[in-house]
Amino acid sequence: MEFNENQTQTIQAAEPAVAVAKPELINGSHAVIQSLIAEGVETIFGYPGGAIMPVYDAIYDYQDQVNHILVRHEQGAAHAAEGFARTTGEVGVCLVTSGPGATNLVTGIADAIIDSTPMVCIVGQVASHLLGTDAFQETDVMGITIPITKWNYQITYADEIPEIIAKAFYIAKSGRPGPVLIDITKDAQQKLMTKPFAHKKCEKLISYHPRLAPKEDQVAAAAKLINQAKRPFLFFGHGVQIAKAEEQLIKFIEKTDIPAASTLLGLSSVSVDHPNYVGWLGMHGNYGTNVLTNQCDLIIAVGMRFDDRVTGDLSRYAKQAKVVHIEIDPAEIDKIMKADAPVVGDAKIALEMLLPLVKENNHEGWRAEFKKFDVIEDQKITQPELAPTTEKIKMAEVIRTLSNKTKGEAVIVADVGQHQMMTARYYQFKKANSFITSGGLGTMGYALPAAFGAKVGAPDREVVAIIGDGCFQMTIQELGTIAQSGLPVKIIILNNNFLGMVRQWQQLFHAKRYSFVELQNPDFITIAKGFGINGHTCSARENLNDSLDTMLASDKPYLLEVLVEKEENVFPMVPTGACVADIRLE
Amino acid sequence: MTSYTICVFTENTIGILNKITTIFTRRRINIDSLTVSETERKGISRFTIVIHHESREAVEKLVRQIRKVIEVLAVFGYLNDDIVYNEIAMFKISTPIGAKPLDIETINKVYKAWVVYWHLTYVIIQKTGTEEEIFEFFDYIKPHEILEFVRSGRVAVSKSPQTLVDYLPEAEWEYYQ
Repeated sequence: MEFNENQTQTIQAAEPAVAVAKPELINGSHAVIQSLIAEGVETIFGYPGGAIMPVYDAIYDYQDQVNHILVRHEQGAAHAAEGFARTTGEVGVCLVTSGPGATNLVTGIADAIIDSTPMVCIVGQVASHLLGTDAFQETDVMGITIPITKWNYQITYADEIPEIIAKAFYIAKSGRPGPVLIDITKDAQQKLMTKPFAHKKCEKLISYHPRLAPKEDQVAAAAKLINQAKRPFLFFGHGVQIAKAEEQLIKFIEKTDIPAASTLLGLSSVSVDHPNYVGWLGMHGNYGTNVLTNQCDLIIAVGMRFDDRVTGDLSRYAKQAKVVHIEIDPAEIDKIMKADAPVVGDAKIALEMLLPLVKENNHEGWRAEFKKFDVIEDQKITQPELAPTTEKIKMAEVIRTLSNKTKGEAVIVADVGQHQMMTARYYQFKKANSFITSGGLGTMGYALPAAFGAKVGAPDREVVAIIGDGCFQMTIQELGTIAQSGLPVKIIILNNNFLGMVRQWQQLFHAKRYSFVELQNPDFITIAKGFGINGHTCSARENLNDSLDTMLASDKPYLLEVLVEKEENVFPMVPTGACVADIRLE
Repeated sequence: MTSYTICVFTENTIGILNKITTIFTRRRINIDSLTVSETERKGISRFTIVIHHESREAVEKLVRQIRKVIEVLAVFGYLNDDIVYNEIAMFKISTPIGAKPLDIETINKVYKAWVVYWHLTYVIIQKTGTEEEIFEFFDYIKPHEILEFVRSGRVAVSKSPQTLVDYLPEAEWEYYQ
């Protein structure tokens, strides 16, 4: 059948009347923001630049749905995202440009992978036709971040964005959490998607299957060892907080009456008041926990990875003990310590499965042995630190006074060094999920931005950053971020004009050759005031109480500088390469 | 030092080679040979990586670290007895006028090697086999002057009756074409 001209025209004219209106197609940048919103993201920590400009242009349209916080350096964005993730258990999100923007994130990403912190970093990249040409601000961030991300992916087509972002969030948060980096070329941000935007949360991947529920036979084998043990000792780590397993952990130690000690990142999972809590482990941990590690007959390790700062010399570490290792990452099993009963799975589920299988027990005698060491530690170290006869204020006094004033319930964000160890020792954590610090990477400069991120994540809790004078100057510019937000982050600088921990090592192991550890510091209070943050310096013991009260009473960000004793050392100490049982008290 | 063959099945994505090899680099483990190709299943690549190591425990830990890479579907570590394996080598051999002629019968029948290209002044011989077999032939052919020698990485399949799909997550795995 042939159409004549008129008929053809009639058909064409009829088309618009029956056609369904085409859905509006959005560009890649809008897809990025809409995907983030679909993933429940409310806050982004970021810094704009050329290669991420289209996404920043899109954010402008979504300001009522997404809160963007402008940091002062991309490293600050990464640590703030970490602080946010650590208080909320949700994924922290960073948004930065290519090249230097991306490389500035690297320290924070490395920190997040080793401390199992969920983070999604969205990074702008030069246009895809420029890839590999050494274009302006081009860097191979994919290559750079392979060893420090849980997963990374480069997007070159706008259509990929929703699926890849969904995948990124699933990978970052599930199993053992970690940082994910998505590199998006500028053209992928600018071009329209070829299909209507649709974001579907990722719940499963073909090649990635984190095991949450452990195998029953593994749990049964662990329970058998636990029930047989005469001197069992439980170590809990960061995995307990990640799994939100604090309640199950307490039920477990109460039913079995097993003494429990924390790793650095496990601190606060169990209140210091709990009768089964015996302290923390490792290089500057407690005396009894370290010595008795070499006398227990069973270690039950929950969500911890036997870091070398915990074990000291492995050839002389807990050789007498069998090991039950509850851990979500199978690669951690047998990596450092051979496990007699590995339990691969989520700490909460594993403890729930173990609970009915373990017998009620009484280990009062065994627990009492820890007390004997506590008495010695108290006499030789704790009391002299808390009630010193020296003129200068000691770090421990500041921390313990803060602990008393906040009833052990504040979110404490410690930087890295002596003040960090003192915080771990002297802050008496009473509430779960209260200690945030860079454990694995030991990143100086972590605390100021992380505390800010923590406050964004937990606005109703008191957040106090405890920072050394050296660390403070590594990310000092984030005072600007804090000031601009107005969020009442409290900052304590313990100022000894030294890189204190390095100085301590130089004193103890390098014949007091203090090589480049003394700092000529600026006037921190004037600097804070320059940013619009109030503060004051406390240099006398009699003013410490009032100083802390003033800081805590402030409803704005506040900086308290405390001038502390210059050459103070952190004890107890297991020197590197020494055996945990040879822990030094002086 | 024991020879280990590590077979890694991955999604076929850009950058996966770097993600795998950086795990060896970081642990200061040298890769003796590495062969990658798509498997009989669409979108799945197979890495065959040969290393020498004195500690089986260290190799087991390495395998677990490789398994952590998100795109990795399965990883296996094998001893030589567990697998059937081969390499391919090519020898460019000088054959100038007046030189001692090649003994093609020995090359074919004894060494199972084949001349795959003839030129006026050289030939190219292809030999497949294990590393030992290839180097036996190397010693035999050396007097003829080797102009070029190249050897591939090892390819290997396990002697286990299980197939690749047995190790993969449940899905419809299409054949490669």
